[in-house]
Amino acid sequence: MSDTVLATSGLTVRFGGLLAVNDVSLECRRGRLTGLIGPNGAGKTTFIDAITGFLPNNSKGSVVLEGEEVFGRSPHVLSHDGLTRTWQTLELFDDITVRSNLDVASRRLTLGGALADYFRPRRREERVEEVLDLLNLGDIAERQPRELSQGQRKLVGVGRALVAESSKILLLDEPAAGLDKAETGWFGAQLRHLVDQGYTMLLVDHDMGLVLNVCDYIHMLVFGQLTASGTPDEMRNNPEVIAAYLGHSGAES
Amino acid sequence: MLARLRPTERVGVAVLGALALAWIIGALARRELFFDPVLFGLGSGAIIAALAIGLVVAFRASGVINFGHGAIATYVTYVYVSLVGDGQYPVPPIPNPLAPIEGIAGIEIVDFPTFISLGDPMGKAPALVIALATAAVLGLVAHFAIFRPLRYAPVLAKVIASVGIMLFLQAAVVLRFGARAKATEPIFPDDPVDILGARVGQDRLWVLGTVIVITAALWVLFRFTRFGIATRAGAENERFTTLLGFNADFQAGVSWVMASVLAGLVGILVAPITGVTPNFFTVLLISSLGAALIGRMSSFVIAAAAGLMLGVVDQELFRLELEWGWIPDIGIRRALPFVVIALAMVARGESLPSRGALTVERLPEAYVPRITRGRMVGYGILLAAALWLTVFAPFQYRAGMQNSMIGVILALSLVVVTGYVGQISLMQMALAGIGAFSVASFGTQAGMPLFISLPLAVASGVGFGLIAAIPSLRTRGASLAIVTLASGLAMGEIFFSRPGWFGLDRGVKTTDPPVLFGIEFGPNSDFIFGDGKIPTGGYGLFLLVVGALCCISVMRLRRSRLGEQMLAVRANERAAAAAGVNVAAIKLSAFAISSVFAALGGALIAFNVGTYGTDTFGIFASLTVLAFAYLGGISTIGGAITAGTLFSEGIGIVVTNEWFIDVGPYTAYVAGFFLIGTAVYNNEGIDGFQRRQFHQLGRWLSRGRGRSVAETSDV
Repeated sequence: MSDTVLATSGLTVRFGGLLAVNDVSLECRRGRLTGLIGPNGAGKTTFIDAITGFLPNNSKGSVVLEGEEVFGRSPHVLSHDGLTRTWQTLELFDDITVRSNLDVASRRLTLGGALADYFRPRRREERVEEVLDLLNLGDIAERQPRELSQGQRKLVGVGRALVAESSKILLLDEPAAGLDKAETGWFGAQLRHLVDQGYTMLLVDHDMGLVLNVCDYIHMLVFGQLTASGTPDEMRNNPEVIAAYLGHSGAES
Repeated sequence: MLARLRPTERVGVAVLGALALAWIIGALARRELFFDPVLFGLGSGAIIAALAIGLVVAFRASGVINFGHGAIATYVTYVYVSLVGDGQYPVPPIPNPLAPIEGIAGIEIVDFPTFISLGDPMGKAPALVIALATAAVLGLVAHFAIFRPLRYAPVLAKVIASVGIMLFLQAAVVLRFGARAKATEPIFPDDPVDILGARVGQDRLWVLGTVIVITAALWVLFRFTRFGIATRAGAENERFTTLLGFNADFQAGVSWVMASVLAGLVGILVAPITGVTPNFFTVLLISSLGAALIGRMSSFVIAAAAGLMLGVVDQELFRLELEWGWIPDIGIRRALPFVVIALAMVARGESLPSRGALTVERLPEAYVPRITRGRMVGYGILLAAALWLTVFAPFQYRAGMQNSMIGVILALSLVVVTGYVGQISLMQMALAGIGAFSVASFGTQAGMPLFISLPLAVASGVGFGLIAAIPSLRTRGASLAIVTLASGLAMGEIFFSRPGWFGLDRGVKTTDPPVLFGIEFGPNSDFIFGDGKIPTGGYGLFLLVVGALCCISVMRLRRSRLGEQMLAVRANERAAAAAGVNVAAIKLSAFAISSVFAALGGALIAFNVGTYGTDTFGIFASLTVLAFAYLGGISTIGGAITAGTLFSEGIGIVVTNEWFIDVGPYTAYVAGFFLIGTAVYNNEGIDGFQRRQFHQLGRWLSRGRGRSVAETSDV
């Protein structure tokens, strides 16, 4: 129990007649990098959207975060509860600096806090500096996201999800999309490094190579259904996985 | 049958049902179920419906909600009226490039023609053709020169551009024809007929019939023809349309022409019945926007039905007003469009945008300068100049400065809500009005001292701002603009147009001067410096202090955590929510802070010279303020200051009047023109433009000295 950070059970998402995620139950353990793979359109991003509260009208099921049922809460509350995420399309705040991007996510802004900060601004949040160091973003902290390389932008996205004081698990939505092979390898190593330091993550990607290399445990989603689960070695030889990815693997980028 | 509708259509049908119910209850309340209110209501409802389906056509073609739609109707109608009445074709005012020199050199060159005479007063048919051809040209210009270049622009830029069209065309009409109503010969037979015991002008029925036929025709066109299907696809995916073998651009152009001709046609057909004034159709447009929204900006039939129902319910409420003496006091009838729009929006809105709703182009940068010693010196010089102009300069400059500083504060209210959080608010002057009338009530009438009456006035403004902001939590972009426009209208109609509220005397009012530490700071009060003419420098000094404090507080807001969260919400609501930002709370606080500045600005207008009234705080005033704020630069403090200079009767205008030519009557016209240009070509406004020039100059200078300047990003 205490080892499980996040557990979904019976999570289902329906868009009109389309069953996008069908009764998915999975667990993410502390200090582990859990992978969720599946071909395009399998419902991976929809799954993350549902967990993080972005599909209140289309989803049902249960999401338990460290023993507490959190399904049905709104996205910003879930973020404070410790469920933080990145986006496939990055969605950085383009108008403010990298440091401000992390500042926004670093802690909850209460009315009192906002007023105190307004009248006596205290810059340089410790946690923000920590994450900037951790991800080697210190040199570009004052730049705006649009001035950065794609790889750097990805890291800022991860940093923004990582920085929340309350963060218990990081949900990474296709973080390697748009990176070339070398960048993907480098990025995977960064993720592994973070997990080895004790962070818990759920990595959603369709890039088999990345997921097999860095994850501790892997689930596969096909047409909204969980069809296979196992360690990387088990998954490599799983006929279901081979069937789902046969003919796909070449097209991944 | 209801089950076959899509869920969003069900909302529309539900609102229609509610309207019908309102009519029945009204009729029962009056204990007579005659159909004359229906018949009269259908007359005005037909105009609302016709404008609504025009809006839907334009939206389906290009995803733009055209706030200038009513102004297009007005302009084309005036062209027709002028042709039929005098045989003259109006030429829109064109600037004389030599005008500034003429003033100085004391020479006068021939002006451009204002009208082209086409002989005797024209027959109705040729006049109609020429007027509708004008409408077609307007549609083409709107598409190719304005909205096509804005295809990938943020919604804000599109809304601003269409507001620009509205201001520009409306000002053109006022410049050419004056503000008074025009009448024209009937087109349809107008003998009354008796239907079901009610007596009604036949012409209204003809208009109604025409609207029904057009709606049916559009429904068929968009439902069954290849053109319609491709247009529908094109609004969603341009490439798909191209694959179908259609030129998406051509389609959108054709739709714009249709929308525009439709607007003109409606105007011309109803002009003989109602007469036209320059803002007649734009005021009606608010109801039409409501009707179009009920139809989800996509269903002609629901939009038209909603328009007709709005007309009927309005007529029913009008009857009730006659019957029940207390109703006029709350002006509920005029609030109707707002209620309908708010209901429709809240019902179909989402608290966060859905996946895939992307803005491609970037928003104007919310730049704040770093405080350096050089900059401090610059600000000091600027402040000294402002101080001199405010206190010691001749009276017209002092008056200009006062108006400008009020303008700066009003523009700051938009910098916070629109510039920082990206929420388009078209109700700022209504909030200003709340501030103005409140400060007059609490101060002048109830005799409270300034330090009580002013905060109370500001608090009232914030209260109303927050109420009006509630629908904003579930709407965004152009829909939000519509909701705020309607709330502004409702506030104006409920509070400012009725005697009784705020102790108004025929809609105008004066206020006692502000007193601080026992000293009067009013524009009529004695002041130790200056020439003693009105306005004296005291009030200007007061405004300068208040204005500077406002600028500083917004600058601090921008640098604070709250400001960062605001910009995060503006950049991406979904990502902000995922990062733990309470998007609703941030929006509400932005509306609250913005209302503080708006209400404060209004209160300061109340203390200013002269009287103020309904028009000072009407929807057109709100649109004009947004225009100036965007023109100056919507997301920077420098932009707000620039906006203040440009403000009506502000210092910029005074200087131009004194040194060059009298631009007064052309202000709205020129502002509308440049507003469109700013939206299309430079969304950072004048302030951003200047900043880039300075940056380049700085880079060039430092290169000259053989020193490289590190790329700094101050934000």
